[in-house]
Amino acid sequence: MLESYGPVLILILLSSALAALVLGLSSIMGPRGLGRGARDTYESGIIPTTSARQRFPVRFALLAMLFLVFDIEVIFFYPWAVIFRRLGLYGLIEMLLFIGLLFVGYIYAFKKGALNWE
Amino acid sequence: MAPLSYYFILSAVLFTIGTIGVLIRKNPLIMFMSIELMLNAANLSFASFARARNLLSGQVIAFFVIAVAAAEVVVGLAIIVSIFRSRQSVDVDDVSMLKG
Amino acid sequence: MFLFLLLAVVAVAASIAMITARNSIHSALFLVVDFFCLAVLYLTLNAEFLAAVQIVVYAGAIMVLFLFVITLLNPGNEETDDRLRGQRPLAVALGLALLVEVALLLRTQAIRDRLGDFPPATSFFEQVQTRINGTPTAPIGNVQAIGIELFTTYVLPFEVVSIVLLLAVIGAVVLAKRQLR
Repeated sequence: MLESYGPVLILILLSSALAALVLGLSSIMGPRGLGRGARDTYESGIIPTTSARQRFPVRFALLAMLFLVFDIEVIFFYPWAVIFRRLGLYGLIEMLLFIGLLFVGYIYAFKKGALNWE
Repeated sequence: MAPLSYYFILSAVLFTIGTIGVLIRKNPLIMFMSIELMLNAANLSFASFARARNLLSGQVIAFFVIAVAAAEVVVGLAIIVSIFRSRQSVDVDDVSMLKG
Repeated sequence: MFLFLLLAVVAVAASIAMITARNSIHSALFLVVDFFCLAVLYLTLNAEFLAAVQIVVYAGAIMVLFLFVITLLNPGNEETDDRLRGQRPLAVALGLALLVEVALLLRTQAIRDRLGDFPPATSFFEQVQTRINGTPTAPIGNVQAIGIELFTTYVLPFEVVSIVLLLAVIGAVVLAKRQLR
């Protein structure tokens, strides 16, 4: 049964071989020394004004948290969608309850402005 | 296929590493990651039991574990963020008081 | 067998690297390696949907959240001082004691008899099919089988999960919203 994942294995091997090839070739054939400006973020472009290692705003983390919750919700949709016909009305009510409860959370987040980016 | 007990040993080893990680690190983020590792080790046991017993319940429970782990990560990281905001440090030894 | 050993070695090495890495972003990336190993192990256990969920949720969503929070908290560097030096050996000793306990448990004959071993690969889905369809002939996929189990036997836990997720939304908004302004 695991043999059916052969194509995935081949894909992984091919992509890592390609990555190794590209990195290896550029390290063999590329110029060696680090000249003036080679360490800059943009070698011939805008000079960076601050370090790239800045604090990310909390907004990103908050959005990622909300995304994670609704991601889990979607995960539970998959098996439900696959057997929807078999479950019929029973499954529909079950899922409406599930979505309904999470919708309360969505409205709460929306009303509190957690989804505003301004 | 490797014998069932191998899966349990791997699961126990991962769980142990997670425990040690929680105990030796002071960075709460890495402590959280160790907890995730422990939950994953438990999931591996559940999946092995499901396969060994010809029952799907183990896999279904692994889903519940994943859902609860996600909720735990969300709330835990929100707490860490808010602690960090109020005292500019995330060392767990600095947060030894109940008073904020 | 070879695949299992390879995955086990990689997983254990990655998790040890995770708890010892000085840089927390490296820790997060080692943990992703771990999650991938576990996903492939789930595939060897006929848990295809679980493997997919493992990658989508853990490697995809949870680790992204971790990376966001890491970049939020310490863009520069790492824990420097170690106030509780003596804690480290003790922690490792206690962890190893836990491992030894589990190993002794697994070596006990009575427990080994009860655990048994994996049944042959073909019988797994046949049995699940027979229990659900009443006949082993009609083919059924892992997602379908899980769906039937999840939405019939485990309806109540399923609904409780939505409450847990609702609480997670509220908790995240309440705790993180205060800082927005």
